[in-house]
Amino acid sequence: MNSTAPLLVETRDLSFHFGKRPILHNLPLQVPAGGIYGFLGPNGAGKSTTMRLLLGLLQPTAGSVYLFGYELRRNRVALLSRVGALIENPSLYDHLTGFENVEATRRLRGVPAPRTAEVLEIVGLTDAARRPAREYSLGMRQRLGLATALLSDPALLLLDEPTNGLDPNGIIDMRELLRRLRDDHGKTIIVSSHLISEIEKVATHVGVIQQGRMVFQGSLPDLQRLQTGRARLVLETDSADTCRNLLPRLLGAAQIVGQGTLWLPMLTPAQTAEVAAAVVGAGQPLYGLRLEQPSLEETFLHLTETALS
Amino acid sequence: MATLSAPVSLLALPTAPSPLTQLRRSLQADVLKLRRTAALRLTLFSGALPVLLVFSIYFFKGHAIIKPGTDPWPSFLMRSWQTAGTLLLPLFVVLLTSLLVHVETKATAWKHLYAQPVGRGAVFVSKLLVLLALNAVALLLFAGLLLGAGALLMLVRHKLGFQSHAIPLETIGWMLMRTYVATLGLLAVQYIVSLFWRSFVVPVGIGMGAVVSTIALLQWEHADKIPYAAPLGTAVALRLDKVKGIVVAHELAPHEWYSLAWFAGALVLGYILLLRRPITA
Repeated sequence: MNSTAPLLVETRDLSFHFGKRPILHNLPLQVPAGGIYGFLGPNGAGKSTTMRLLLGLLQPTAGSVYLFGYELRRNRVALLSRVGALIENPSLYDHLTGFENVEATRRLRGVPAPRTAEVLEIVGLTDAARRPAREYSLGMRQRLGLATALLSDPALLLLDEPTNGLDPNGIIDMRELLRRLRDDHGKTIIVSSHLISEIEKVATHVGVIQQGRMVFQGSLPDLQRLQTGRARLVLETDSADTCRNLLPRLLGAAQIVGQGTLWLPMLTPAQTAEVAAAVVGAGQPLYGLRLEQPSLEETFLHLTETALS
Repeated sequence: MATLSAPVSLLALPTAPSPLTQLRRSLQADVLKLRRTAALRLTLFSGALPVLLVFSIYFFKGHAIIKPGTDPWPSFLMRSWQTAGTLLLPLFVVLLTSLLVHVETKATAWKHLYAQPVGRGAVFVSKLLVLLALNAVALLLFAGLLLGAGALLMLVRHKLGFQSHAIPLETIGWMLMRTYVATLGLLAVQYIVSLFWRSFVVPVGIGMGAVVSTIALLQWEHADKIPYAAPLGTAVALRLDKVKGIVVAHELAPHEWYSLAWFAGALVLGYILLLRRPITA
């Protein structure tokens, strides 16, 4: 993790039990200033619980939460004045217009009046502002929730599954908005998702949680390096089995994944050349030899599956 | 982690708004959220029903109720207050508290509310103040409509003699104050019940059950200690004095003191119960 940026959010040994059921185990969340932190995990892994703990909606069973370097428990109201949040589905009053919905929270936060129109503009809802929120589509509701979260121009934004229920265009819009908020407005954003594909394009840092435990945390390049380590050489031939039997020294560790397909752990270029020469030398046809990188998606799945077992 | 390169402003602890500022902001937001709500409509129109009933009775059958030459105001006031106080007023308070709290529940807004820079105390007190204000508005509207109905009867039912006798304004004033106090106990209990269960059906069910049970328990020697019975207790406190006309004691009766005790007790206990409650919805 970038060691020059201060941590805006840090949890130390954060644990949470719901009744007797353990939800989080010693979670060491570290979110540096100025980044977009993708908080990933399958449904039920503990993302929403963590988000609620970061806002003081739940009390930790053990450990503590620090925002901007201060303990949340002792300074909740003060610290929340610099945090905007969108937790799961946005909290909207259907009997009020979009404008009035934002206005209610604006009054609650004591933000100057013109700000309501400004945040509606940022999320592109100016034209629909006078319509009742009950007429809003799911995407508009998410954007209205985001507008509310942006009211106090918070240094830190917590967005829990903000793309939930959005169509592909809505997801792209949301991604663009997050990028703009970070690049143009200097926000630090924590965004949770159960799909890595939704945030890999915007996240600078990633935390992966599985069954209440952090299984990976680091910058996006760190995660990409992790997947480089899992790269493999794919060898296409006539009979994978024959090939492996003929060349036990070189292909003993290979995995047969099809009639004529073998997967090898990634090799140096020299070793790759040696494999090619050996296969041809053994009289076997070499149809293809290529390096394959697992996608981030596969890395993510691998991480969460490893943790499961 | 190095913090030296960080902008100082980013890591300085912001100052929390004072408790009074938090309360003022919560109130401003809560008042806005009242727009177009059933709670507000209920407040504005609930007083009309008992007045309309009693007005109709006097309009159509007034001649049979009032002996010619006697003061019609006492029976008019008693009938109106008893119609309102027996069932309608307690049910109104039950519905009002449930509806007001349900505004947040329906919007799944508790998590949003508690993630704002206002303490739980401010949220709790602000909604309570709105409730108290709406309750007062409803009672004042009821009294206003009552006077209006009397005035209308002066015009359209001249023979009943409303115009020939003084309007018992002082008695109405005392009744308003005492009735308000009598509703406070059940208002606080219902407020806590609504906050605790965070549904619409449960507090309304509990409240209606309590109101109906109270009517069955009126003969009980401790009935004056039940908060749901207090508005009725006040409604029947009106009595006829041969000299002064309709009067009511200018002091609180025991059941009204009990109502105040319920109000204080329920709020303190409820606040302690709700203070550290996890917000999962």
